[in-house]
Amino acid sequence: MHKTLQQTLNPGWIVIGVLAVMTAAEYVVAVVVDDTTLLFALLLFVGLLKAWLIIQYFMHFGQLWVHISDLRDGILSNDPEADREED
Amino acid sequence: MTQKQTGKRTKPVTEHVPQHVNHRFSSLDINRLGLWLFLVSDASFFIALLSSRFFVVGTSTPEHVDQLLGLGLTILLLLSSLTAYKAEAAFEDGDIPGAKKMLLYTMGMGIIFVFGVGFEWHEAFKHFPPSTGFGTVLFTLTGVHVTHVVTGVLTLGFVFFRIRNTTEIGENQFAVEGAVKWWHFVDVAWVFIYPTLYLIK
Repeated sequence: MHKTLQQTLNPGWIVIGVLAVMTAAEYVVAVVVDDTTLLFALLLFVGLLKAWLIIQYFMHFGQLWVHISDLRDGILSNDPEADREED
Repeated sequence: MTQKQTGKRTKPVTEHVPQHVNHRFSSLDINRLGLWLFLVSDASFFIALLSSRFFVVGTSTPEHVDQLLGLGLTILLLLSSLTAYKAEAAFEDGDIPGAKKMLLYTMGMGIIFVFGVGFEWHEAFKHFPPSTGFGTVLFTLTGVHVTHVVTGVLTLGFVFFRIRNTTEIGENQFAVEGAVKWWHFVDVAWVFIYPTLYLIK
């Protein structure tokens, strides 16, 4: 059975490809740019972008809000069964 | 006959507390939130160490810093993040053998990374020992980071042995998820350590 392009290029591979390109860009920028302030700004920008990719796609940061919502609902719920003593 | 009817307590009161809490909160949600809070607090530690580089030696980087080794270590850690991601995905799909294989790859790359840092230290002692400004920064940053890598490898190893004979996802879900998240965090930390130590000039 043939896999679709989306199945072949699953998120993990796409993210690692982008990270590899950005790492190479980082290296080239460090060699080419002489101005320290500009270099610092560019490296910080690329670093933040790489970190966001890992946090968002590999660490599933978006799901954190679902967990927080679930916990909030648990705190605010007024379920007598939940408050009932076991004994 | 229930305890209420007899009026006798057969268990200590404290044993009732976790059951009471678990009715209202999913322990998995609490574990996940706790892990994120811990990672944020650990990140603040790395931010402090990273900023110390600029206070101690400014933006100067010695010419003996091995750029290619730094790049190689970065690529290795990024690849290990991919295999960790694959391990988590395989486990959630119920593919335990696939998850174990990916965990082994991740641990292997982590161990190679540790040896790479060891080689870096061997070279660093010759050119910028810990008594120098840059040496202080390099050994502190890489030392703290490699400690995280070692604990990450140990945690992944623990998870590997925990799931090696299992067919159940449920009770092992957070073990896998937590260890893999920890590994990604180690990768994120290196994303900033690499340019700070090797690329800025």
